[in-house]
Amino acid sequence: MKRIGVDIGGTFTDLVYRDDEAGVRLLHKLPSTPRDPAQAGLEGALALCEQAGVRLADIDLFVHGTTVATNILLEHDGAVVGLITTRGFRDLLHIGRKHRPLNFSHAQDVPRQSAPLAARRHRHTVRERILAPDGRVETELNEADVRAAVQALRDSGEVEAVAVCCLFSFLNPAHEQRIGEIVAEEWPQAFLSLSHRVVPLYREYERFSTTALNAYVGPRTARYIERFAARLAEAGLEADLGMMTSAGGIISAAEARERPVSLLLSGPVGALVAGIEAGRLTGFENVITLDVGGTSADIGVAPAGQMRMKHLLDTRIAGYDAMVPMADIGTIGAGGGSIARVDAGGMFQVGPESAGADPGPACYGQGGAAATVTDAMVALGWYRPRALRASGLDIDRAQAVAAIERNVAGPLGLPLPEAAAGIYRIAVNNMVEAIRVNSVARGLDPRDFALVAYGGAGAAFAAAVARELSIATVIVPPAAGVGAASGLLTSDMAYHRQATLWQHLEGADDERTTAVLESLGEAVAACLKRDGFGAEDASVRYSADCRYRGQGYELRVPLPELPAGPAWRAEVAERFHQAHERAYQRRFEDRPVMIVNVNATGLGHVPPLQHEPLPAGAGDAPVEREPACFPAEGGTREFEVAFLQRIDLGAGSRVTGPAVIEQPDTTTVLPPGTQARVHEFGHLIITACEDSEHERAH
Amino acid sequence: MNARTDIDLSTAASTGIGADVERRWQRVAVDPVSLQVIGGALRAIAHEMAEHLFRMAYSSIMRESRDIGAGLLDFHGRQLCESDSTPMHCGSLPAYVRGVDRVHRGRYAEGDVILHNHPYHGASHSPDYGVLVPIFHGGEHVGFAGCTGHMVDIGAANPGFSVDVPDYYAEGQLIDAIKIYQDGHRQDAVWSLIMTNVRTPEANAGDLEAMIACCRLGARRLGELFDRYGIDTVMSAAEEWMDYAERVLRARIEELPDGVYEAPEGWLEDDGKNFGQPLRIATRVVVQGSDVYVDLTGSNDEVETGFNCPFEGSVLPTANFAVRSLLLDEAGAGRDVPQNDGVFRPVHVIAPPGSLFNPRPPRGCEARFTQINRIPDQVMQALAGALPREVTAGCSANVSCFAYSGQGGQGSDEYWVNIEVNEGSYGGRHGRDGLDAIDTLMANTRNNPIEEMELNAPLVCERYELRDEPPAPGQWRGGLGAVRRWRFLRDTGASSTGDNRSIDPPRGLFGGHDGRAGAVIVNPGTGEAQELPAKISNHRFRAGDRLEVRLVSGAGYGDPFRRDPRAVLNDVLDGLLSAADAERDYGVVLSADGRQVDPAATERARASR
Repeated sequence: MKRIGVDIGGTFTDLVYRDDEAGVRLLHKLPSTPRDPAQAGLEGALALCEQAGVRLADIDLFVHGTTVATNILLEHDGAVVGLITTRGFRDLLHIGRKHRPLNFSHAQDVPRQSAPLAARRHRHTVRERILAPDGRVETELNEADVRAAVQALRDSGEVEAVAVCCLFSFLNPAHEQRIGEIVAEEWPQAFLSLSHRVVPLYREYERFSTTALNAYVGPRTARYIERFAARLAEAGLEADLGMMTSAGGIISAAEARERPVSLLLSGPVGALVAGIEAGRLTGFENVITLDVGGTSADIGVAPAGQMRMKHLLDTRIAGYDAMVPMADIGTIGAGGGSIARVDAGGMFQVGPESAGADPGPACYGQGGAAATVTDAMVALGWYRPRALRASGLDIDRAQAVAAIERNVAGPLGLPLPEAAAGIYRIAVNNMVEAIRVNSVARGLDPRDFALVAYGGAGAAFAAAVARELSIATVIVPPAAGVGAASGLLTSDMAYHRQATLWQHLEGADDERTTAVLESLGEAVAACLKRDGFGAEDASVRYSADCRYRGQGYELRVPLPELPAGPAWRAEVAERFHQAHERAYQRRFEDRPVMIVNVNATGLGHVPPLQHEPLPAGAGDAPVEREPACFPAEGGTREFEVAFLQRIDLGAGSRVTGPAVIEQPDTTTVLPPGTQARVHEFGHLIITACEDSEHERAH
Repeated sequence: MNARTDIDLSTAASTGIGADVERRWQRVAVDPVSLQVIGGALRAIAHEMAEHLFRMAYSSIMRESRDIGAGLLDFHGRQLCESDSTPMHCGSLPAYVRGVDRVHRGRYAEGDVILHNHPYHGASHSPDYGVLVPIFHGGEHVGFAGCTGHMVDIGAANPGFSVDVPDYYAEGQLIDAIKIYQDGHRQDAVWSLIMTNVRTPEANAGDLEAMIACCRLGARRLGELFDRYGIDTVMSAAEEWMDYAERVLRARIEELPDGVYEAPEGWLEDDGKNFGQPLRIATRVVVQGSDVYVDLTGSNDEVETGFNCPFEGSVLPTANFAVRSLLLDEAGAGRDVPQNDGVFRPVHVIAPPGSLFNPRPPRGCEARFTQINRIPDQVMQALAGALPREVTAGCSANVSCFAYSGQGGQGSDEYWVNIEVNEGSYGGRHGRDGLDAIDTLMANTRNNPIEEMELNAPLVCERYELRDEPPAPGQWRGGLGAVRRWRFLRDTGASSTGDNRSIDPPRGLFGGHDGRAGAVIVNPGTGEAQELPAKISNHRFRAGDRLEVRLVSGAGYGDPFRRDPRAVLNDVLDGLLSAADAERDYGVVLSADGRQVDPAATERARASR
């Protein structure tokens, strides 16, 4: 099977090519072409094919991860959206949950009001009303209102996408469906998003917001996908284009065009998918991924090799609510470019501001005056002048030192190495806190996990982060710097469908439960069938979001096999009690349990990648020794540090810290007291602490 | 500002405890990196505590509205860290500790869980239960993990709450620093007594379990931090963060010229019983060096209903909020400043005993949020000249809160009680319009999803939108209030507290217009339409009745004739203003089709004013 994965980010486009039968694996990196992102994607794919000696037509699987939808939102240049909604509720998107993001601020900006997804002038209401709990119609849909609204939106000359959001459409979608038909009749060119199709779940504001987001990013994202697919087809690609979603699965281009909102946070997912695979290969089921770039660090936690999804009320991006399945990945503003400073009150702070790529850290010599985490690592001696040559940069150590002296060491009265080590330790600690939030706070003990490093800077932090958390093992995959792209090739196709069921388990209507779940299952099965998956390589998983009656935050539990019945319900209740106990250390068996939402996930299994062992190391790898400092008890200590090239390390090679292992896409830092060995598939396995009771290094 | 110095500052109560206290640890020097590391860990703990609480909680007021607070405190009650949930809750935790400590000082034991809601001993008001778990280190009591949360019903005379009550006994069951767990054992008799005396025992029990779990988690996490870094380092770092916050706030205060800054007199509509008799709010702000005194002397005497404000648990944190938000705005200068004892230290309050803001027992004091929320608004009015870029024009600065209740809402004879905290709106700000339909100042809760309310209670929402009347004109216009209309499917009781600002609407600043009053109307648009006061006490509605609440709109900031004509056009296009409004209030003339500004006509209109 010949596969290509293309990950198009804001700065670089990363590609991977795999042909397991022929034993060919290739990587390619080129600058992104932001004005027309597909251009770099296509060029890269063609370049890879040429390297591999195949044609695009020979490719069996072509998977794409894109930040197009994300960037539309971040840059706020999406479609002009019109909204058609229930009379009396024109401003739900504006009011939101009426909560302000900051407590102690009169100057704050509230994006849902200052930059609305649909301006008030384009929000129209129509007479209709559906009632709880059974979805009966109280007020029939007034079609004249609908036609007038559609005409006004069309005649505005600027609206391009229409979001249709009716109260209680998750109970009864008839009115939204009819409005959708009228829009299609009156104005077939409009990009249409119906709330019950985008996210048929209760909580009107979040559903409306998600639907409006879908409309907002929809037209441009859909056009982009169409254009990319068309150009690939012109260039000979016969395979379907698959798109990576925020939930860490692949969907067809057709599905992505209808639900572009599901691509919104797909960027950070690739590393988590790849990390799960890296853990599987090296014998670690529980993994935490640490993907560190210039401005941010993404943290993913996968117990037992399973990605977890965020709670639907926690899925927010750029200040807007998006209730779509998203892998539970935490992002913090801590990366190589994070800026260190001493604030007006004398406090030593690192981040969240970043020097970005331009001007970048002081050591880039591009005019950056701020001291960054990268500068600290340069000053400590870990990054040598040529470390970033692959990115076309030479490191200027004098600039790094000067920036740290000026911004940190001077104001705090610290010697330079201590100031640099302090910057690094604060950045490490920010990552440590973020990992705790994503593990300990969710009832998971990080000591049971291996930490997998990705991104240009992940491997420089991972060992230190692991030691702080008493994590024994760090994994640095072979091409850790471009990990996200390889995640594209190890993902299954995954379609998600959800519904609000709102049933108390006691006395639940089993027939209805079964019917709703089966219809969700049929929907995802149909998607897989369309993609050419048969019974042997497709499966459907069911889960439910449950809570004790009265609670508001659901916990997700996998469901037993259908049909529903008394024993089925008892098993669901027990699974929920267990989940509640895991999360909150308490179970309340006397309290009624209700199922709020049900979910079906259809998985189309993509054949796993084959991995070829790395040849064993032949003798000792060449070592250069240079002085460098590491944090130590009471400050820092200078060592003669071994610098090695990753390419020189064969399977079974061992490296003892303090050491630095260099490769074009990343730099691995081994602090004193750590050891690395090279796994048979090429992963560096770092023993960060001898045992889980290990004390911190300083 | 004037130079009056006849204010006796010695009667002021400080909102902070200070750095000069007895310690059960050694104050040691902490290096700047460890300081940052421990500071981050403390913030993360408070955040995790709050998440735990609202995810596990039962009542919608806690889990959807998130009317809660959580944090860690030392044994004096000095806040080390707090969750950034609602300002009122977090700020009141130290007062709860004082109330509890007066009963149990020296008699805490591991495994204790203490419940408290006494409004004359530190509680914010009686429905805000506080749970404290004492934290021990080496056998010595060193601190507390604490949280507060609004209970949906505490067995008051009327379901939820009501204003027109004779005293605080009628406002619900009082719990004065009761150990509900002693040495790790739940006191089942106490538990049963509490739950037997409320209308919503299932929700209350679930909420209380969540609060206990939240505090135990916080205590465990702080213990882990002690194990890791040692108590001396952790507590010294916490103290260092307090000193830092104090230092930064004092530096900002010192930038203000010393003197007395007086706000125009403010007025509240009534006390919820004696309608037509307004209540006075007097506010002076005294700046002296690096200290600020909020002087409420001259405000109304205490009233005979529940419309008084607990001094310690409500007035003190509010004064602190007023000063902190202005001088250490989280969107600017105050971003890195954590909310701890340090920011409380430079702020002091004067409110004579027996007044609205410092009532004496047994006065009722449940319905205090509306008056409380006027304090930061008044402080901004007082300091507008000194801090023109930091203040907002008059905000709604009230809280309209309704408790709806009935029986059998869930197919049983249980009570259902639903508390709805309605939003307000902000006044215009330098460079920005006021925020529309949003919680203001000390309030920062979330609304209940309509789809959840209707699934759980016999209510139908007919309208929830921005108000129809135009916003208050200004160079930066005032925020718009919302309008909400419920229809009752069954006979329903409702109580409310609030203030429609009908006799004293939000004040415009620097030429901006005043804001717009709110209204509470039964069966609007019908022959039997009837206006109700903002405060109703167990009003009975019949099945089929409608209740419309129009919330207050904030005031404008700056001369509306200087508003960017394009912003005026946008408001017209968005249906917030008519073309006639634009011309009259802003001097902006639109083209014949109403889709563009007519620049020449606008210039003429603006010049000829």
